[in-house]
Amino acid sequence: MSQWLANVIDRASSVNDWLSPVRQEALTRLKSTSWPTRRTEEWRYTSLHALANLTLNEATNSKALAEAPVVSNLNSIDIVFVDGVPATDLTALNLPAGLTIHSLANASEAIQQQASKVFNQVKPDAHLFGLVNDALALQGVFINVAAGVQLEQPIRVVNLVSAGIESHNRVLVNLGANAQATIIEHGAGQGNSMNTAFAEYVIGTEAKLEHYRFALHGEEAIHIGGCHFKMGESSRLNSTIVGYGSQISRIDTDVVHAAEHALAKMNCIYLLGPKEHFDLHSLIEHVVPNGTTEQNARGIVGDKARAVFSGRILIHRDAQKTLAELHNRNLLMSRGAQISTTPALEIYADDVQCAHGATIAEIAEEDLYYLQARGISRKQALIMLNFGFIQELVSQMPNKALAAWLEPLLRERFATMESE
Amino acid sequence: MSEQIEQAIAREYEAGFVSDIESDTFEPGLDEDVIRRISEMKQEPDWMLEWRLQAFRSWQKMAEPDWAKLGYEPIDYQTISYYSAPKSMKDRPKSLAEVDPELIRTYEKLGIPLHEQEMLAGVAVDVVFDSVSVVTTFREKLAESGVIFCPISEAIRKYPELVKKYLGTVVPRTDNFFAALNSAVFTDGSFVYIPKGVRCPMELSTYFRINELNTGQFERTLIIAEEGSHVSYLEGCTAPMRDENQLHAAVVELVALDDSEIKYSTVQNWYPGDENGVGGIFNFVTKRGVAEKNAKISWTQVETGSAITWKYPSCILRGDNSVGEFYSVALTRSRQQADTGTKMIHLGKNTTSTIISKGISAGNSSNTYRGLVKMGPNADGARNFTECDSLLIGDTCAAHTFPYIESANPTAIVEHEATTSTVSDDQLFLCQQRGLDIEKAISMIVNGFCKDVFKELPMEFAVEAGKLLEISLEGSVG
Repeated sequence: MSQWLANVIDRASSVNDWLSPVRQEALTRLKSTSWPTRRTEEWRYTSLHALANLTLNEATNSKALAEAPVVSNLNSIDIVFVDGVPATDLTALNLPAGLTIHSLANASEAIQQQASKVFNQVKPDAHLFGLVNDALALQGVFINVAAGVQLEQPIRVVNLVSAGIESHNRVLVNLGANAQATIIEHGAGQGNSMNTAFAEYVIGTEAKLEHYRFALHGEEAIHIGGCHFKMGESSRLNSTIVGYGSQISRIDTDVVHAAEHALAKMNCIYLLGPKEHFDLHSLIEHVVPNGTTEQNARGIVGDKARAVFSGRILIHRDAQKTLAELHNRNLLMSRGAQISTTPALEIYADDVQCAHGATIAEIAEEDLYYLQARGISRKQALIMLNFGFIQELVSQMPNKALAAWLEPLLRERFATMESE
Repeated sequence: MSEQIEQAIAREYEAGFVSDIESDTFEPGLDEDVIRRISEMKQEPDWMLEWRLQAFRSWQKMAEPDWAKLGYEPIDYQTISYYSAPKSMKDRPKSLAEVDPELIRTYEKLGIPLHEQEMLAGVAVDVVFDSVSVVTTFREKLAESGVIFCPISEAIRKYPELVKKYLGTVVPRTDNFFAALNSAVFTDGSFVYIPKGVRCPMELSTYFRINELNTGQFERTLIIAEEGSHVSYLEGCTAPMRDENQLHAAVVELVALDDSEIKYSTVQNWYPGDENGVGGIFNFVTKRGVAEKNAKISWTQVETGSAITWKYPSCILRGDNSVGEFYSVALTRSRQQADTGTKMIHLGKNTTSTIISKGISAGNSSNTYRGLVKMGPNADGARNFTECDSLLIGDTCAAHTFPYIESANPTAIVEHEATTSTVSDDQLFLCQQRGLDIEKAISMIVNGFCKDVFKELPMEFAVEAGKLLEISLEGSVG
């Protein structure tokens, strides 16, 4: 066990609130969990060395009311956390009918009951940092969208971290039958920080969720989190994850097809510079027949950065007529950059159609030549081709305001990336 | 279709019988004494014994790997006998005529009459019956061109310098649990040496058989292709029906020096166990080759047998422009479990590798492809193409694909594709409409699915492989 984990257990033992039974369970498991090494399959390519002996402070009250990053024309309902502490007065929010947002910290008994139907109901209990989050996330929100309510305004949970601070928070979302919502998890911040952020989504029958997760932390940060989805019958999920990479950045995104005819579309983009590390793990589980999953992850890795992608599609015996596809495409921009990808299929049903593909390549000389022959400089041509590769997924984002905000950010980031 | 298929499944293992030959077998158990006795029986030099003992000491500290998608009762290595030799072999026969007629009859039952094979196929056969090589044919003809093809125990005595130089250089003693065990107790196997610039005049082939109850078979094969040489090696195996699990932990090392080529083909048909998963061979194999400059290593395997298959024939592409290939058909049925694949380690510039893997699972079996493609930082312009397809027949089997892809070179290109599908009712209907019975139809569809791999098999082996697959298919479709 690492010093850091010993500290976590120590701190968590004294927590006492309505989630204490859950926290105790997590603690018991944590105590018997060994610290991941390179031999731990789940952490094969991501070293936790930087975290093992880290000691940071926990923020007790929000220091400065940091401004959430502005996304023009987004017109979202913002819930801001600074270093894990709420900076938004939830009671003062002007919410449309059918939408309720409550803090987990001082939830009434009725809310506790509702939230319990989501808390730890979706997230797998094997994830080490999920357990840490169970034990230590004192703050978080529970978002409930009533059946049949179709929200036009996106909800954005902003999670700002600052140097020297460790924080843990949780997002729980329940989407009633036929409900429709857009939820954005927006993480950002500079400096040497440590943050775990886990989100659980229960998507009701025929409900539609549009989901975004931006992990745009600085290169010194340690960010470990996950977004976990449980699909109801005929529900729809459209999820986009964008990661910058940090000292350690690890996101687990899991989907469980718990009822038939659900459709999950998942895109992921990563763009890594200097020495950044980004690790995306994904587990798509088809438990019942007739589910569909389409996953596309694309990344560009420059300088001395490292990208890890582990995508697993698991089809249970009863999940006949499943359609599942997973594609991971990568561009390596420079010597010293590394990519490890493991697209896995685990299939126990025979009448299914599954495929996965993974490629690692550089931009083809012929493509560059084609553009250069038309008077475009080599540098410009490289940017066009590389960025085009990512932009395809950006343009698939249903929310145009977000796409318009993200594109120049990525383009700017790309322009500063070291390439040969 | 189900009734006919069930009938087909119920078919018994055709090569299942036990030959009644007196054997000289060690008591079960493994300690340094056993290793000393093996080494003594083989009349080995001291350095070989020391090498074995060091392997044994490392093995004792190692843990059995558990990462493969295989489920089996823990193996008690102390209940296995580590040496078994047909008794009548104590005075080595000088020709086939001197061989125990019972042995010859065994081969005849398997359909490999040696005399005929000698003449018709032009194949030199180094027959391994349990642990002692019984007879080696065509030796003289090979010797004319300077090719050495003999049991490894003989090579240790006759060519110690060659063995010393290369043994354990590709698969080190401590490489993994099973390789360490093999290094400690290996009893026999083949040794091949192709001199510089020589193209081996014939396909080299070894037949393996496990016969004695409870004896593990630990083969060790070492093939050295000198600069500019070429060799094609065929390995086939079939084992009699037994109720006890039999352990097989082989090691194969290939050394392909500059501009040489080694083609290694395997048809594996060990006893898979009965429909309840009782019996069957546990097959834990470490196969690896190192390819130097411009060299080529090609692995082709047709895996239809064994209760447990744990096998990853690999290529270390160390030299610039070296080429690695892996073509595999793995068929599992009943309660068979296979976890097989390859590793392609690209170290040199402009190295290329191709992986074509076809997994077919039926019955209650589980079939896993596990592979690694690694592009090292110096592998400029390296290229890999991987295609692994799975075919599921029946709703109680499982097919898995676990590829690991790592790249640390921006000019390397890796492409990986995998699909999983089933034999569709439409396909079957189409075939049946044209007058094919269901078994023929499925056989045809599966054969088509595998054709990319079959065409890589050498001519001499193609007939055998086709026959084996046909038999296995009949019993595997469900």
